[in-house]
Amino acid sequence: MKASKIILLMLLAVAISSAKNSEIKIKELYSPNYPIITFRVMIGTGSVNDPKGKEGLNALTILMLAQGGTKELTYKEIQEKLYPWAARISYQFDKEVSVIIGEVHRDHLEKFYKIFSDLILNPRFDEQDFKRNKDLLLNYIRATIRSGDDEELGKQALVWFIYEDHPYHSPEFGTVEGLNNITLEDVKNFYKKYFTQGNITFGIAGGYPKSLIQKIKKDFSKLPLGKPEPVKLPEPKKINGLEFLLIEKETRSTAISFGFPISINRSHKDFYALMVANSYFGEHRTFNGILMQKIRGQRGLNYGDYSYIEHFVQDGGSTFPVPNIPRRQQYFSVWIRPVENKNRHFVLRQAIRELEILVKNGLSEKDFESTREFLLNYSKLWVQTLNRRLGYMMDSDWYGIEYFIDKIQKELPKLTVEDVNNAIRKYLNFENIKIVAVTKDAQSYMQDLVSNKPSPISYVSPVSQSILEEDKIIQEYRLNAKPENFRIMSVDEVFEK
Amino acid sequence: MKKSIVLLMLLISNLAISQNKIFPFKINKVVLENGLTVLSVPFDSPGIIAYYTVVRAGSRNEVEPGKTGFAHFFEHMMFRGTEKYPEQVYNDILKRLGADSNAFTTADWTAYHIVASSDALETIIDIESDRFMNLKYTEEQFKTEAGAILGEYNKSASSPFLPLYEKLQDLAFTTHTYKHTTIGFLKDILDMPNQYDYSLQFFDRYYRPENCAIVVVGDFDQKKLIELVKKYYGGWKRGNYKPEIPVEPPQTEERVGHIGWKGKTLPYLAIGYHVPEFSTKNIERAAIDFVSELLFSRTAPLYQKLVIEKQWVDFIQGGAPSRRDPFLFTILTRIKNENLIDSVKNEIFNAIEELKTKPVPKERLEQIRSYLKYSFAMSLNNPNTVAYVVGNYFQLTGDPESVNELYQLYEKVTPQDVMNAVKKYFTKENRTIVTLTEEKK
Repeated sequence: MKASKIILLMLLAVAISSAKNSEIKIKELYSPNYPIITFRVMIGTGSVNDPKGKEGLNALTILMLAQGGTKELTYKEIQEKLYPWAARISYQFDKEVSVIIGEVHRDHLEKFYKIFSDLILNPRFDEQDFKRNKDLLLNYIRATIRSGDDEELGKQALVWFIYEDHPYHSPEFGTVEGLNNITLEDVKNFYKKYFTQGNITFGIAGGYPKSLIQKIKKDFSKLPLGKPEPVKLPEPKKINGLEFLLIEKETRSTAISFGFPISINRSHKDFYALMVANSYFGEHRTFNGILMQKIRGQRGLNYGDYSYIEHFVQDGGSTFPVPNIPRRQQYFSVWIRPVENKNRHFVLRQAIRELEILVKNGLSEKDFESTREFLLNYSKLWVQTLNRRLGYMMDSDWYGIEYFIDKIQKELPKLTVEDVNNAIRKYLNFENIKIVAVTKDAQSYMQDLVSNKPSPISYVSPVSQSILEEDKIIQEYRLNAKPENFRIMSVDEVFEK
Repeated sequence: MKKSIVLLMLLISNLAISQNKIFPFKINKVVLENGLTVLSVPFDSPGIIAYYTVVRAGSRNEVEPGKTGFAHFFEHMMFRGTEKYPEQVYNDILKRLGADSNAFTTADWTAYHIVASSDALETIIDIESDRFMNLKYTEEQFKTEAGAILGEYNKSASSPFLPLYEKLQDLAFTTHTYKHTTIGFLKDILDMPNQYDYSLQFFDRYYRPENCAIVVVGDFDQKKLIELVKKYYGGWKRGNYKPEIPVEPPQTEERVGHIGWKGKTLPYLAIGYHVPEFSTKNIERAAIDFVSELLFSRTAPLYQKLVIEKQWVDFIQGGAPSRRDPFLFTILTRIKNENLIDSVKNEIFNAIEELKTKPVPKERLEQIRSYLKYSFAMSLNNPNTVAYVVGNYFQLTGDPESVNELYQLYEKVTPQDVMNAVKKYFTKENRTIVTLTEEKK
């Protein structure tokens, strides 16, 4: 008993002394019975830190750690070690932060931690790994999004378009030219500059031994002290009317995304009012939203229609967003899933008209009540695993707010329908919007839009009179599309530089 | 005190892995008089339940010509309401609950799933039982939904994966319904608006209690669950339809296809070998799951050579999904340059030939066993996944315990079993090859 007390005291002493020299932040979510341990190492660096002409440097650096080797082990040797444990190392990179994620069963925790921490603290930076990881990013641009995923292409291009002349402009995965300019030396220098104690938060969840926390503090105090200056973010450029980017591509349907910057994020109280409005208008992958009900449900024009008030990336096959993509500046966006080319004019009119109706009329008391009730229940489902809970906790710290899920429970009941409708009028608009469409024969789409000629649609079966009446209004709805506000780009040029 | 804590921790840490049963939770099974199976698993997710309705019908059941894609289309129609709860009312109820609700269709099954608060159990049972027993939609609603299906096809069609799988299955199968993908042939999708009557027949055939299961996982009271299920589903009438799924004759010669892709792309290569259906008894079928790891896991020599060393491909994968009838072991890779297609193909074939002649070291099989067990155990971290697993093994065999039998069978796979399986199934005459490259202008 005595002996163990002494050891405990010694341990504490170590903890204090190392803590003194350590700036590393640790976020713990301890759950003793949970056999799966998750690490989320968040680095306060993203594509905003990419030097001009080397777009993609942050992404490539993260890949060189998460999908590279350590001083002791090659990438191949690491794969061999992790394999029988089914342990996973994954990664995310975004505009402002990047994350390296590890997951392992408790049976193999100690050995896994050694490898995982070495990847970050003692990376190998192997020339072959560099070539492979660079190819991976280049192929993501050339083969995956340009050639195989029109919806993702449209969404990514929208962000690029919204943030012209702004640090958020360059994509988080880089550009073809930027990536081709990057050398392994650049990666090493980037790592040295940004992988500092003050710039890293180590998140850990599950049933880990408490002693591991001291070890993490000690190990990560080997990194240099300090924290790089955050990149200054100017206000995004003002949008004048409807500004179009049409991406010309041989495709059997048209993918549309549009949006504009908004000046608030989770740390602002109005965000929670806007959250209710957005859920009513276009909750992701549900039938609740007006857009979904009217475009898909009533008219069968496509597979889905949603809206967002912050950057959103879906977590695998779930309907929930991935955590750890926080941004100081956010944007409102609408995602119209591919529509038949012949209906592209009508659907864009319809979606913007719905936005106008939202801005002008707001929500009714009844819609407000039911949407708020939905969100109060639904948001509890966002954190079904410890891994996701940890991610949300870290994001909440990043925004400087209490735990986001708790904050929703606290803020939403305080709201009135007027708060929501005021927030809509204050932050949303239907006149100054950037619009991206991935489509065939872009020139004729532009002519249709500029001419504002009627764009009637036909149905294979009779629909109700009220829908037909509304269609008559939609097909004539005027969009302020001026020829000088169009840019047409070939798909091969997108994210080239 | 301290010691017992340590012991307890050890016990828990072993919980998921060392038992005879890979699935560490107890599955309660009750079958109602009308044949409806109720499977429930208590799971540590305070205040939350996952609720699945499993229908043992998928695109495999689309036996009539011109009706491909119907199982999936029908899944959409299930959201169109009943007399008691019309579409909008059904949606409003789910909205109030704040439930996460959706559905999916595969070749073999269709699942309707909800994750919601435990308090919502009775409401969920009420609205779900109602739509399975009393679904009602008009021809107009039916036609409108056909548009959404075309939209879903279109969103997938911008990716080379859909045409690749379409071509591969179309060539590899001559008779069995696995000839088409779950979304169906485009020509049939375009004709869907005209198939209202067939949709009613589809519902009548397959949406019957003896063909379905309710799976509930999470925080609930078992006694109350059974009472409620009996109350709400008790009146559901049995059906009697038995589909006759045509049997695929053995393939006797290699089949080859090509797709010219409009627009830029890297070349893709897909190869399919016919393999047996899911089984908890057939050791060769279990060995085929090991072949997938031996060739395509990140530590596999073939993967290492193609992805890491030579860097000829940016991804490669291969495996045989668990299916009710014999399907394919499918290999899919994206190649960095058109000139390398033949070299990549040869490397794959060489690696397969090596498995026919050189026994795999026992240690390698042990590593694979460990991987299979740990990756499965690590996936069971939320009620939704657990419900999915129970539903999936139920639809495959009628008994969710088959998951445990499968992993017990994995324990028995030997190097000889692997060799036998590769020799028998990975032959030239049993394979179909499809390539996709940029169309030359």
